[in-house]
Amino acid sequence: MKRDLISIEDLSEKHLRDYLELGKRVEGTSPEVCRKVLAGRILGVLFYEPSTRTRLSFEAAMLRMGGQVIGFSEALNTSVAKGESLADTIHTVEQYCDAIVIRHPREGAARLAAEVSRVPVINAGDGANQHPTQTLLDLYTLQNLFGRVDGLRIALVGDLKYSRTVHSLFHALARFKDVRFRFVSPETLKMPEYVIEASEGATTEVIETTSLEEAISDSDVVYMTRIQRERFPDPVEYEKVKDAYRLDRAALQNAPAHLKVLHPLPRVNEIATEVDSTPHAAYFPQAGYGMTMRQGILAHLLGGKL
Amino acid sequence: MSPEQILLIPKIENGFVLDHIPAGSGVKILNLIRGHQELNDAVLSVGLNYTSRRLGRKDLIKIQSRELPQRFLQHLSLVVPGVTIKRVEKFAIAQKIVLEPPELVDNLLSCPNPGCITNHERCVTTCFHLVRREPMKFRCNHCERWFAMTELENRLKL
Ligand SMILES: [Zn+2]
Repeated sequence: MKRDLISIEDLSEKHLRDYLELGKRVEGTSPEVCRKVLAGRILGVLFYEPSTRTRLSFEAAMLRMGGQVIGFSEALNTSVAKGESLADTIHTVEQYCDAIVIRHPREGAARLAAEVSRVPVINAGDGANQHPTQTLLDLYTLQNLFGRVDGLRIALVGDLKYSRTVHSLFHALARFKDVRFRFVSPETLKMPEYVIEASEGATTEVIETTSLEEAISDSDVVYMTRIQRERFPDPVEYEKVKDAYRLDRAALQNAPAHLKVLHPLPRVNEIATEVDSTPHAAYFPQAGYGMTMRQGILAHLLGGKL
Repeated sequence: MSPEQILLIPKIENGFVLDHIPAGSGVKILNLIRGHQELNDAVLSVGLNYTSRRLGRKDLIKIQSRELPQRFLQHLSLVVPGVTIKRVEKFAIAQKIVLEPPELVDNLLSCPNPGCITNHERCVTTCFHLVRREPMKFRCNHCERWFAMTELENRLKL
């Protein structure tokens, strides 16, 4: 049966651990051998809205596995702009390639694509819903930095209300053992009840706070998010909270030595550049782990041997 | 049924009795019946706000029709789960079932989320799963949002 990667909600704890194992296997394979794994295969990269970072990461991953890439990075000049349905676009593109990566502003677009496609589909973001490869690369980064995911104390900081990255990361982490959470956000950007309700890890510890300082002194990981203007219905609300949390060297003074700072990138000013040179900064390596993780994902879904 | 209730709503020879409708929900079912063309010619008898031992107050609807369409039953099980349906043949109850809320709602609803892809594609099939019973909640298989039944009632695909 065809394999897709659409939503973290489809993945059990075992699936998540298997994906982490895949990343490790890519790491342990020489670049020369990697380049043979997907040689001759073509990845269709359909980005209906721009996201340079994610697209580059997927393309680099495919190239490193020896495959090639076709696609578009915005829908403006394509048949899509002329009113072609998503299903028709997929039926066309699947004739050209062996797997499809799709990013789309509508929620559920990747699921629909997977339903109609005969080749594997990977969700690279569907509106405010899911971005599963981001979540997997976050987990993989933790696994690499700490040698484990179980038992970590993780502070999720910033926009916990609108950030889908944080929602699916929370759901995924809650499936591991004894992960403890600090939710750090302004009152207006608190983690929604429905997200907590839908998490399957009923026994995990969650502490909500508005104090970043308190969370820093008591965590292994600080996961920062950008407070995104476009998510706010009311611009006045955005102005009130946009700089609520800013991480600089001073804020890290009482941090445990092993504390790592992650961020899905791009950052604006929620992490000062002076943090980059501290041993806590892990957000650029995180991008590197992201590519490795995606190499593993592509190999797995396309049936390449690792 | 007490004698005065029998006076209020006549016995039917053949058809269906929808019983144990929570008081107030009878109107929802009438709207649903109106939405299903196959039932437009059926003779209806309606009783509202009867006293009921089980529910305190209840509504009751009798439909003189040979069949109840499958799609109507599916919609009914969503909008007012727990209704008892009795098939009447020659003035006697021939069959009795209680409608349970469906686990899987296959193409019976459109999604209330305006950003959901299913509201923007032609010829798309929707699917919802029951994710919570108390209070009843359904999850859209595409956008993955959870919805209470009150949000879905006016989203029936008739
Ligand atoms: Zn939906």
